[in-house]
Amino acid sequence: MHKLRAWWLRVCGMFRPGHADEDFSAELESHVALHTEDGIRAGLSPADARRQALIRLGGVEQTRQTYRERHTLPWLESVLRDVRYALRGFRRNPIFTLTVIATLALGIGATTAVFSVVDRILFRSLPYAHDDRLVSIGTVHSLERQEFMMGGFFFDWRDNQKPFEAMAAQGTMPHPCDLVESNPAQLDCLTFDAGFLPLLGISPVLGRNFLPEEDRPNGPRVVLISYGLWQGHYNLDPGIIGRVMDVDGSPARVVGVLPKDFQFPTLQSADVIFPMALDRAAQATANGGFGNPMRTFARLKPGVSLAQSREEMEPLFDRTRDTLIPAPYRKEIHLSIRSLRDRETLDVQVTAWVLLGSVFAVLLIACANVAGLMIARGEARERELAMRSVLGASRGRLIRQTLTEAALLSLAGGAAGLALAEGLLQVFVDLAPTGIPFLKRAGLDLRIALFTVLLSLLCVGLFGLLPALQTPRVVALASRTAKSRQRRVLRRSLVVGQITISMILLSGAALLLKSFQNMEEQQLGVHTGGVFTAQIALPGFRYNTDQKQMEFYLQAEAALRRLPGIVAVGITDSVPPGGWENGFRWSDLAIYGKPHPAPGTGGSVADRKVTPDYFRALNIPIVRGRNFTEEDRNSTEHLVVISKLMASRLFPGEDPIGKRIQRSQDGAAYTIVGVAQNVKNGGLVEPDQPEIYFLRQSAADNWDGRAPLLIVDSVLSPKAAVPWVRSQIAQLDPTVPTKFETLNEQVSKLADRPRFETALLGFFAFTGLVMAVIGLYGVIAFMAAQRTQEIGVRMALGASRFDILRLILREGVRLIALGTALGIAAALVMSQLLRSLLYQVGPRDPASFIMVTLLLALVALAATLVPARSAMKTDPMQALRCE
Amino acid sequence: MGGKADVWQGTLALMVMRTLETMGSLHGYGLARRIEQTSGDKLELNYGTLYPALLKLEQEGYIRSRWGTSENNRKAKFYELTKAGRKRVRKAAKEWKQATGILARFLSPAEEG
Repeated sequence: MHKLRAWWLRVCGMFRPGHADEDFSAELESHVALHTEDGIRAGLSPADARRQALIRLGGVEQTRQTYRERHTLPWLESVLRDVRYALRGFRRNPIFTLTVIATLALGIGATTAVFSVVDRILFRSLPYAHDDRLVSIGTVHSLERQEFMMGGFFFDWRDNQKPFEAMAAQGTMPHPCDLVESNPAQLDCLTFDAGFLPLLGISPVLGRNFLPEEDRPNGPRVVLISYGLWQGHYNLDPGIIGRVMDVDGSPARVVGVLPKDFQFPTLQSADVIFPMALDRAAQATANGGFGNPMRTFARLKPGVSLAQSREEMEPLFDRTRDTLIPAPYRKEIHLSIRSLRDRETLDVQVTAWVLLGSVFAVLLIACANVAGLMIARGEARERELAMRSVLGASRGRLIRQTLTEAALLSLAGGAAGLALAEGLLQVFVDLAPTGIPFLKRAGLDLRIALFTVLLSLLCVGLFGLLPALQTPRVVALASRTAKSRQRRVLRRSLVVGQITISMILLSGAALLLKSFQNMEEQQLGVHTGGVFTAQIALPGFRYNTDQKQMEFYLQAEAALRRLPGIVAVGITDSVPPGGWENGFRWSDLAIYGKPHPAPGTGGSVADRKVTPDYFRALNIPIVRGRNFTEEDRNSTEHLVVISKLMASRLFPGEDPIGKRIQRSQDGAAYTIVGVAQNVKNGGLVEPDQPEIYFLRQSAADNWDGRAPLLIVDSVLSPKAAVPWVRSQIAQLDPTVPTKFETLNEQVSKLADRPRFETALLGFFAFTGLVMAVIGLYGVIAFMAAQRTQEIGVRMALGASRFDILRLILREGVRLIALGTALGIAAALVMSQLLRSLLYQVGPRDPASFIMVTLLLALVALAATLVPARSAMKTDPMQALRCE
Repeated sequence: MGGKADVWQGTLALMVMRTLETMGSLHGYGLARRIEQTSGDKLELNYGTLYPALLKLEQEGYIRSRWGTSENNRKAKFYELTKAGRKRVRKAAKEWKQATGILARFLSPAEEG
């Protein structure tokens, strides 16, 4: 307390030194006078007495000095002096200062913005207690890469596992449900068991979790609701607990509200959560004895690793597999245990690392640029520094001075960068595709600000220390044109480094760009202009039979066909090129009467259940046989159209028309009536799959399973046609929400992520290139200016202007060649990291590398040419006179 | 040995405060002389070190100062203890007595025991 007070007074003391000095002088004066008087009284002469007094004092000046040091904080004072000195220097040289701050702001700002996005993907802990011990556990097979659990396994695993503290389950997918109240709304409903929230370490923000007795079959109908629903629909009414809501026509009592920032480990969103109420006996028989699918999560016991848990679960998995799964499928199913972070972000981790790496590369280039500027400035100030050194400033003192300047610059750059990051982040978020987790939550919080400060300090280290370590040479005092070899080497290596990094960035961007072009320009096999889909969310509790659903869609189809300008109205369940969730295994399919292929071979098959107009709407040509007809829809014959790819694999060299194939799922035999042209059906980048089109017949049993989707082709633009369609559907049922989407939008959405990656990396590469070229220009220009006198002499001795041009250019070309060569070597290694992001272009694509090299070389040469040309125009007389 | 002793590190502050406690208000020179007298002229203060020590105590809030006139009519700066200073000096004195007491046991001629 008292120490703090003293410290504070000393800080204050720094700001009004004059007064205290005067006061102390007076005090010393009085001290000496009193002492002298004493001396005189003791019999000394006045002069002797005064001398004695001064001796005993130990010197007036020394006393004054120690007093002053006590009065203020000397070290802080010297820092402030350095700061003031630095600020004065900056004011004298505003262009230098602004350039440095702008460069740093760009580097730090971009890095901060990218970091704030990738931080949650890669580093920041997930919002659960001890998130590092949470895992997603279950089985995977070729059609489902995310762990799932069948009800038939769950109890056996939960009760017999050893590596986990706890296991809990949630439903696989939120399903639409209706809030039937005075203010009705369509919501997403999901289920989880009573152990789910405790497993994650989450407690409801209001009310309580499900009780064990509520999580039982035929238990009371209770729900937890999301914060969003509580806020949006109930206005944060604290009386919500105990309130009875009407969900899908039956009452449900609210027992709790989930926290505001709660997120499901599957990253899905849901408004209303019911207890899972798993029935052990029912699960043993449901779904052919497998039980219903669900997602399960578990918490590792402390000290148990993922690998250990896998090892310990393996016997349990083998046992359930061997009892539950029929022999042919056993090879297809695998145990999978992954950390929750991998479950949530694995597919974007590569993108995140690439972005982070490239933005750090930009930062490095920025720092190198600033270091170059600082060195140049140091060179210009060498005489001044040498003078200070000669006058007694220690080496450490001068280093501290330079570091102070660097720190000031980078803090200013960091502050500006933080402001810039705010804007850049907004751009990223707007640009970013769906499916990048946590993006909506990305923001500049304390953690990010701290990161920015650290980044700024890192910059100080990178660009401050290098120039600081240069010793001013006393010789600088004597000569007028100071040249330091050490410094020249340093600046040149910086430029070479910048070109190297630029080369890496550019080649990465070029590869992504080419991959993106490949993606955009490929033939999809379908006609997309004017085509749109209408997804109608029929509330399940009113349209509770397949018959009712079918009737609705058939009525809608008929109504839409009557609209003017409509070319075709088809009904399907999905449209290409996306839709990975469709399909079954190749081995499930057999030519009628022949054995099935071996399980686990042949990959998967895409399937859709369509009406005849599907092919017309998408303009998919039937290359053999015929399309389904309207009459077929009312028959009971099992008919299919298969894709050309499938035909060539099933019946190589034969005519497939009229042949019959059998699906093991239902055992029914389907007659092939036609062969359709191949379409892109595995997404934009995945290889095409063989495809089978089942006829969607007008019988109720044809309308179970995946929700139907209307597909409409019109001669009008979708913008004009959609309102007509909407009103037709509203006439059938005004309450059903309908989502319209053009096919072009759907295709474009698939390319969102590559577009995002390409745009960002392209931006970084461009920024890096610009900065590197500025750095190169700076070095060459500076060098040319330093050699003015030499150039004058050379010209006087008969060198032509062309010789001078060559002299300067040679310098630049050497740096460019070295940097580019190093860059190519490094880029060839680094681009391997991009492999998983590239489509139909290798990570060592020669064309891309040649293009990038040429681009870099040309731009860099141009940057050298400018100073070289002005050197060429040197007037020898003036150049000689300037010494 | 037998010459004048230097002031041990950290004890000057206590001497200053203790002196001010007994004497009330003193100026720097008087304070220095008084300390020397109290020590039986065994201590020889470097007067130059006294003033930073006074400043430190003042910054810490244990003493305060004001300008006044000395006995022979000279302007001088007078120091006196504050309330916090009085508390401080009592505590410090106790601690020192304890410390020197312990030390004295070690240094006293070996007693039979």
